Amino acid sequence: MTTTFISSISMQARVSASTTRFSLKKHVSIFNNGKTNNLSFSLQCSMPARLAVSCAAKQETMEKVSEIVKKQLSLPDDQKVTAGTKFTELGADSLDTVEIVMGLEEEFGITMAEERAKEIATVQQAAELIEELVLEKTA
Amino acid sequence: MRISSVVLQMHQTFSIELPSLQLPSRMETHLWYILPDEVKCTSLLKHYSQLLSPLEKAKVLQLRGDELKKNALLARTLVRTTIARYQTVDPRSLMFKKNMYGKPEVDWGNYNNCNSPPLHFNISHTHSLIACGVTVHVPVGIDVEDKERKIKHDVLAFAERFYSADEVKLLSIIPDPEVQRKEFLKLWTLKEAYVKALGKGFSAAPFNTFTIQSKSGTKGGYNLCKTSKIAANSLERTKKCNREWKFSLLELADSHYAAICSEDDQASGGAPMRVIVQKTIPFVEDELISESKLL
Repeated sequence: MTTTFISSISMQARVSASTTRFSLKKHVSIFNNGKTNNLSFSLQCSMPARLAVSCAAKQETMEKVSEIVKKQLSLPDDQKVTAGTKFTELGADSLDTVEIVMGLEEEFGITMAEERAKEIATVQQAAELIEELVLEKTA
Repeated sequence: MRISSVVLQMHQTFSIELPSLQLPSRMETHLWYILPDEVKCTSLLKHYSQLLSPLEKAKVLQLRGDELKKNALLARTLVRTTIARYQTVDPRSLMFKKNMYGKPEVDWGNYNNCNSPPLHFNISHTHSLIACGVTVHVPVGIDVEDKERKIKHDVLAFAERFYSADEVKLLSIIPDPEVQRKEFLKLWTLKEAYVKALGKGFSAAPFNTFTIQSKSGTKGGYNLCKTSKIAANSLERTKKCNREWKFSLLELADSHYAAICSEDDQASGGAPMRVIVQKTIPFVEDELISESKLL
C-alpha cells in the first residue's frame, strides 16, 4: 500500500549563507490507493529553510503506529488502516487509546504529555506528535 | 413477518410506542443498559436506525465492522429513547450538542419546558454492553468495562504511568495478579466516570492528579482526593470547596463493572447515591434489576 503525499505549496529551499526561518501554512491532501482521504488541515511549521524536513510524518513512522494500533485492538494484519483512520472507527475506547499511547511511548522512547496524547485521534496525528517529540529529544 | 427460506431470523415483537418514565429524584441515578446480543431482529434494528439524525447515521456508517456499527446504533437509540421517555417527546425530535469541552448534552432549545428539571445523561459502552446513566439537576458520568478485559501492558507499569501515587501503592500490595487486574479495572471505571462527570475533558483532570479510594466501613462508597498539584491552583481550590462528588461502583449482568459519578447535591444531606438499574430493549421490554450489586 503506497501513500503519496502531495503538497499544494512547494517548499522552495533557498540556499543562503544564513539560516532563514519561515512559517508555512499549507493545506494537505492525503491520497491513498487512488482514493482521496479528504483530510485537510493547516500545518504551521517553523524551520530552517536549508533543512529539507517534511512537515508531514514519515511513512515509516505511520506504519509503526498502524502496527501498534492493530496490535492493541487485536486487528488482523491486513486490516486497512490509513493516515486518516480514527482509532474510534476501529473500535478503540479510552482504555485502548491510553494503551496505544503507552505502546507508542515504548516503541519510540518518548513521553507524551497527557493533554497532547488526548488530542491524538488518527494515525497521522499520532505519527506527527511522535516525530515532534523525537526531534525535541534529539535536538 | 417475512421468514427467509435460508435463515430464520429471531423475531421480536415490538411496539411503536414508548412508555413514559418518571424522572429520577435528586438522590437517584437511573442506569439503563442494553446487551447487544439480545437484540438480533433486523426489523427492530431498522426501526432504531430511523430514530437517528442524519449526522448520527453517518457516524455509525463510518465505523469498521458490523458489530461496531450495531453497537453504535444501539448506543444512540438508548440515549434517544431513554431521554424521550422521561420527557414524553418523540425520540426523533431530540437534538444534541456538545459543551465547550466536547461532552454531549441535550439541546433543549426547541422545548418550552422551563418547568421540567434539567436532565443529565452520560453513556458508556463495551462490545457487549451499552449503558446510559440519567440524573436530574447534577452532572453525571459513567463508565463500564468488561470484567474479563485483559490489559496488554503490565498493570503496575500502566498504573505507575497514569494513576496517582496512592493508587499505585494500593495496587502494588495485591499479591494475586488477577485480583490486581480487577482492582485496576475498577479504579479505571471510577476515574473515567469522574472525568466524564466533570465534563471538562481529560486534560482538566489528568488521572495522576486525583485518587479515588473506598470509604472504610461503607459498602460502595468512595472518596475523591485531589493531590496538591490541583489544589495549588487557587481557582481550582475555590471550586474544590464547593463541589463534592459521589461514586457508586457495581457489577452489571455478572460481566461488567459500572462506575457512576455524580455531583453531590447538598440538598440530599450527604446520603449515598441510590442507583436504580434497568436492563432494556427499546420498544420491547424493560427489566428492573432488583439487586444492584454494589462493590
